[in-house]
Amino acid sequence: MSTKSPTEADILRPIQNVSKTYFIMFAVAALALGAFLIGWAYQLQQGLVVTGLSDWGSGGGVTWGLYIGAFIWWVGIAHGGIILSAAVRLLGMDRYMPVARLAELLTLAGLSAAGFYILVHMGRPDRMVTSVLGHYHITVNNSPLVWDVTVITAYFVLTATYLALTIRYDVTRLRDQLPDRFDPVYDGLTLGYSEKEDQIIDRMVWWVALAIIIMAPLLLHGGVIPWLFAVLPNYPGWFGAVQGPQFLTIALTSAISGVILLSAAFRWAYDWDHIITDDIFRGLLLWLGFFCLLFLWLQLQQLTAGSFHPTVDHGAATASKFSHPLYVGPILGVLGVLGFIFATTIRPSLFTKLRAMIAGVIVLTATLLEKLYFVLSGFWYPTFSIYEATPGDYFPSAIEISSLLGTIGLVVLFFLAVAKVIPVVELHAIEHLRGDHGHGHEPEHEPVEESTKQPEVEA
Amino acid sequence: MSADDESFHPLGEEWENDLEGMLDDTEYDTDLGMAMAEDAMRVTRGELSEADFHEKYHEEVLEEFGEDNRPTQEAYEKAQEEAKGTVGRMLSRFDGDGEEPRRDVMKKMGAGAAAVGLGAWATVDDGGQEAVAAQDEEDDESGAPEGGEGDVQWGMAIDLERCDGCLSCVTACSSENNLDQGVNWMYVLEFEDPGASSSTSRNRLVRPCQHCTDAPCEKVCPTTARHTRDSDGLVLTDYDVCIGCRYCQVACPYGVNYFQWDEPDISTDEIAEFHEDMDGDHMTTDDGYGSERWVDSRAPRGVMSKCTMCPTRQDGQMGDEMVGTTACEEACPPDAIQFGNMHNESSDPQKYADNPARGRTLAQINPPSADELEEDLEGADEDLESVLEAADLDEEELALMIAVQITGGDEMGDGDGDVADLENDVTEALAAIESHGLGLANQEVLAELDLADEPDLDEPADGDEEGVDVDDEDADADDEAEDEEGEDEEENDDDEEENGDDEEEEDEDDEAFEPDEEAAQFLLEQFAGTPASNFKLLEEQGTNPNIIYLGNEPGPQAEQTEPTGTGVNYEDISYERADGESVEAVDNRKDVLDEGTVGDAGVSL
Ligand code: SF4
Ligand code: SF4
Repeated sequence: MSTKSPTEADILRPIQNVSKTYFIMFAVAALALGAFLIGWAYQLQQGLVVTGLSDWGSGGGVTWGLYIGAFIWWVGIAHGGIILSAAVRLLGMDRYMPVARLAELLTLAGLSAAGFYILVHMGRPDRMVTSVLGHYHITVNNSPLVWDVTVITAYFVLTATYLALTIRYDVTRLRDQLPDRFDPVYDGLTLGYSEKEDQIIDRMVWWVALAIIIMAPLLLHGGVIPWLFAVLPNYPGWFGAVQGPQFLTIALTSAISGVILLSAAFRWAYDWDHIITDDIFRGLLLWLGFFCLLFLWLQLQQLTAGSFHPTVDHGAATASKFSHPLYVGPILGVLGVLGFIFATTIRPSLFTKLRAMIAGVIVLTATLLEKLYFVLSGFWYPTFSIYEATPGDYFPSAIEISSLLGTIGLVVLFFLAVAKVIPVVELHAIEHLRGDHGHGHEPEHEPVEESTKQPEVEA
Repeated sequence: MSADDESFHPLGEEWENDLEGMLDDTEYDTDLGMAMAEDAMRVTRGELSEADFHEKYHEEVLEEFGEDNRPTQEAYEKAQEEAKGTVGRMLSRFDGDGEEPRRDVMKKMGAGAAAVGLGAWATVDDGGQEAVAAQDEEDDESGAPEGGEGDVQWGMAIDLERCDGCLSCVTACSSENNLDQGVNWMYVLEFEDPGASSSTSRNRLVRPCQHCTDAPCEKVCPTTARHTRDSDGLVLTDYDVCIGCRYCQVACPYGVNYFQWDEPDISTDEIAEFHEDMDGDHMTTDDGYGSERWVDSRAPRGVMSKCTMCPTRQDGQMGDEMVGTTACEEACPPDAIQFGNMHNESSDPQKYADNPARGRTLAQINPPSADELEEDLEGADEDLESVLEAADLDEEELALMIAVQITGGDEMGDGDGDVADLENDVTEALAAIESHGLGLANQEVLAELDLADEPDLDEPADGDEEGVDVDDEDADADDEAEDEEGEDEEENDDDEEENGDDEEEEDEDDEAFEPDEEAAQFLLEQFAGTPASNFKLLEEQGTNPNIIYLGNEPGPQAEQTEPTGTGVNYEDISYERADGESVEAVDNRKDVLDEGTVGDAGVSL
């Protein structure tokens, strides 16, 4: 695509420079997060009454709302991210190597946002440690919520390890171009590094990737997260085996969208046209289309099964989907994106980076709204639907809405911060881009290795 | 009871059922049994470990009985875990797939232990063994209703047709537990049911927590805060442990949970102060199985709450007379709520649900006390009319009392609930009348009260074509009495037994006359009616609820009617809290909570 050849300097640019835009973005993100933290403090002081939630039943409301909807949305993005990066490594999809690390970082950021939501959602977050960990050995056998906390923690650790392993290689080789003020971080990251480990690490990373892919349907967004809902027979809109695959498609569509947006942002900020090429965007868009198709396909399954000759409760839950804007909107959005992607395959000239970004925004919005609808509709259409006179009224309060902006701010801040410390595009990717797309790995290493030997000795 | 599985023990079910039987009675080695029993005592004294005990006798037991089914250390530990409460329950559920249910395991262990003289273990002061022992007792077919401690499951029978919608239960509960506005642990609603076939019965639902035996709310709780007490099956929330994730509320199919979204209106100090002269503070309680837990009264901020079925009452904090009662039950004017031990056939709810017409009658008639009767009857003649007049009873009242006695059978007065008390009152009153000289088993008297056919002294006991079937819905009690025949058994196969009895026993001698149970039942049903149905709510959800409803079951399309309330509106009733404040009831809690919502847009998605 580009005539420029990718260099180390390219991937070091975010670390070595700061711009006004950076500060503005930082400030905006910090403001969003700060505003929410203030809201949260107020919530801690007043209780969850500050939200728009109430009890379902005679309480006339819904007991889970935007907090839980946003929680699963973030977990979805996070899980999709790690699956994406694992697929790149496992299946040797070298083309996407420049965005693999972004996907991994998105996983860490998404999991942090999700974990934060768990705390925000609780009535007594102060008891998280004593009550949850104290009974963990018992509750882990039963409670899907404990399973969730477990896998979120497990995946955070797994992803962090995964990331740390691949970063060692880069940091060691780029060490003398990295800012001294982070030396302790780099020392920690490269602790005990020796070149001999490269191959072992490569293999370890491959195995971890394999584990992630294998466990994805079971433990990630295809498993425990949907089980939070899918195991409850009293909500026809939640109950059933389709939620696993359905959630997985949502995770993947939203994660790909997230990666598209992140990649576009970084490419724009650091002139990485030759690293994160249009080709990558086209490819990501195609994958997005594929998962959008799966997403819609599984929605269709639910609509069909729920309206052909349903039980009374299931029928009511499905009927609402045909009319509720919170459901119809997202479905049409995803359908539109799918149509656009389909069109670009027929007429490639329809593709632009901007359009890809718009598609990403639409999908992310759609998945968020669909998740919100999904959570709310459970309480709106329970099997025991007798509480008609006290229906589940709900509108997110100002604090709940600010939580969404706050967590987005948190994720932006995370990237802004991380980009100043480590290369968000891995060295391997640069080496690979410079090589001949084949087995160019070994010779490509040579110049880098030479340049990195010195800092090794110094350290 | 224990005979549900013969395979577990080579000695067979007879042996299981007769644990008092000494080892001598069997073909097995008495010495071995005695030695084992002795060592079992050593185990209880801590001189020998269970594992060693097992080791020591394993071979011999195998040789003697062909298999060794005594509690192994593993099983013993499991039982101990069980008794610790939620811990064991959850563990057992986890590994329970495909295995025998907990109770069965316990039963087997209990019977197995007793069979080899291990009953001694029951003396160990430890919940696990108590539970085993309790199970043991239960197995004992003597069926003492008080049973073992572990055999209590509090629950209710709620007669929806007797409920008059006064909402007294709602206010009584809110007052007893000092609940915030809109926290209607007890909720009564009326509904329309477009899908239901037209029914004469009212569509009303009285909805406390169902205290499910297989409570999904407990299963999903990430902290064990939501737990079932082993001692009495109450499903409670430990307010000190709950993290307020609200998953229990989500998992409960009945919508009975209320989260404490903000600081409750009344402080714990005020509650404690109010209950000063009680044996506890109406908040923390110890069921004797675990440690003291804060499970009663309104929840603190950020924690889940729901109907508790008054554990502080059940644990005796409010006095012995309050054990086995709930605030709502006490407050209900027509006695539509019957609270008691669902595992006991002679408890209020079981007796009531078993024969609702009889239960309703008992709740409505007011039998005069025996003393009163004796006084009133003094000097009166012995014939029916004089007795009725002197005792100021009408014929129907007496007939109903007798009908209650006849239908009560051998279980009359069994149990220790209100129903049993009323039954005893009836028995005593009737005894007083009898001792005055009016033969209540006299066919003539009974016939006059529509409880028997007229005695027919002339006719031989032939079949009579005009036989009237008491079962026949059209049969009017009066007509029936006028018809002069009692020998209809040949024509009516369906009620052959009862009538056959009458006829055989028929004799001028009134003592031998067998009362006509069917006529008695018919009378009760005529007086009190029979419920449209007898159901448990959403049984298909597999929750095993512990509330039996009598009346119209809400169908899948049932919808609450508006305005809410039951004739009485929620906004028109109020209740008093421990701080002396009178609080107006609210049916839709959202209205209260919206006041605290930051940036309440007044719209809904
Ligand atoms: S009704 Fe059953 S599931 Fe619901 S709170 Fe009560 S015990 Fe739990
Ligand atoms: S709200 Fe409390 S009791 Fe309910 S599931 Fe969560 S921790 Fe358990």
